[in-house]
Amino acid sequence: MPVPLSEFDYEAALLACAAGQRSAMQQLYEQESARLLGVVRRIVRDSALAEDIVHDACVSIWTRAASFDPARGSARGWIYSVTRNLALNAQRDGQRQADIPEETVQALGDQASLVAWQEVIHSSQWEDSAARVGHCLGELEPVRRDCILYAYVDGLSQKEIAERVTAPLGTVKAWIKRSLAALRECMS
Amino acid sequence: MNQNSNAAFADLGPDEIQALAGEYVLGTLSLAERQAVAAQLATHGALRAAVDAWERRFLPLTSLAEPVAPSRHLWQRVERSLDSLSALLKTAGPAVKKKAIPWWRDWQSLPLWQALTAGGFAAAAVLASVLVFQVAALKPDTRYMVVLVAPQDKSPGWVMQTSTAKHIELIPLGQFEVPADKALELWTKADGWNAPISLGLVTPGKRLNVSLEQIPGLQANQLFELTLEPSTGSPTGRPTGPIHFIGRSVQVL
Repeated sequence: MPVPLSEFDYEAALLACAAGQRSAMQQLYEQESARLLGVVRRIVRDSALAEDIVHDACVSIWTRAASFDPARGSARGWIYSVTRNLALNAQRDGQRQADIPEETVQALGDQASLVAWQEVIHSSQWEDSAARVGHCLGELEPVRRDCILYAYVDGLSQKEIAERVTAPLGTVKAWIKRSLAALRECMS
Repeated sequence: MNQNSNAAFADLGPDEIQALAGEYVLGTLSLAERQAVAAQLATHGALRAAVDAWERRFLPLTSLAEPVAPSRHLWQRVERSLDSLSALLKTAGPAVKKKAIPWWRDWQSLPLWQALTAGGFAAAAVLASVLVFQVAALKPDTRYMVVLVAPQDKSPGWVMQTSTAKHIELIPLGQFEVPADKALELWTKADGWNAPISLGLVTPGKRLNVSLEQIPGLQANQLFELTLEPSTGSPTGRPTGPIHFIGRSVQVL
């Protein structure tokens, strides 16, 4: 069973993986696989493919653990970066345009995501960083915030986002650029 | 190719680097753009720092995705893959004598390849049986895998696999040092091609995603090589330095 994020030493787990300790990889899997699968599944929108990608991510994490550099960020962040990159590469490749489940669309309506997320951050140990991005997202106009969440959480392309929010593609591109600049300013 | 994209990235101002890094992490870049950014991460310090900072900013948003319990078999599948990987690393075959002349000049007759075909194939097949990355459900295209081994001791150093229908990924199995003024360059040649084609420079320990559009084709028994070249790549467009890793593609599944 996963333990609270603050009680699991992700960096030690990666170090042990780099040293070839299979038990460390298993612990990491038990700790994080359900959350990783959740993230990947939202992006690729296909259960079987999502499991394939988590499998690939585990092999990649195990193989590349020695290349993790704590100076560049947290161990947990690295694990998500490896996994999201695999998912995004799969999603951006080819012409697949899987339908987005209706419940996802609804979940992303108005502020639902942020509300759900408030619950998450209050139950975890990393309120600071979460609250910061949450606060700064809250400063954005709702439609622009949705663009950011559609992209990051649901892995939608800019074209898909434009369809989803019924705005011209050029407008969505400009919104995303300006929102990123605003987020960076707000979080600095 | 490499120099052009280097130059393009070198012209970016700080704000443009931030914007590009932000979109890279957000996921809104096209696959080609994603790969161009990924290829620069090893060498472009400012871009890497910007990407790292965006990863940190957005990481909390991953908790917006509801966890999904994996099927019971997923960990077993991971374990099988890791078992095969470690078996492959342990069973690296006996030493093969290294040829002194550039490999590509002598490649009609290099006995090394025969050794590799015999020794490398079994190892590659074991690895391929589980390490094949399962895009099959979506993409029925033929897939390939290559295990690149050091010519001296046949120890595996890199694995290549078709990661999607249009890409083959070069994945490091460890860290390798190259002299400061040198670089590893990836080459491929299939039967019937006149000369090897460069797939670009490789950063030790970093993966490289190669677009199959860069090469005329991908087939079974196609040769892949990493040679040591000047830091800007081979000046002649052909391999000039010693082979560091070599392998041939195996069709999987």
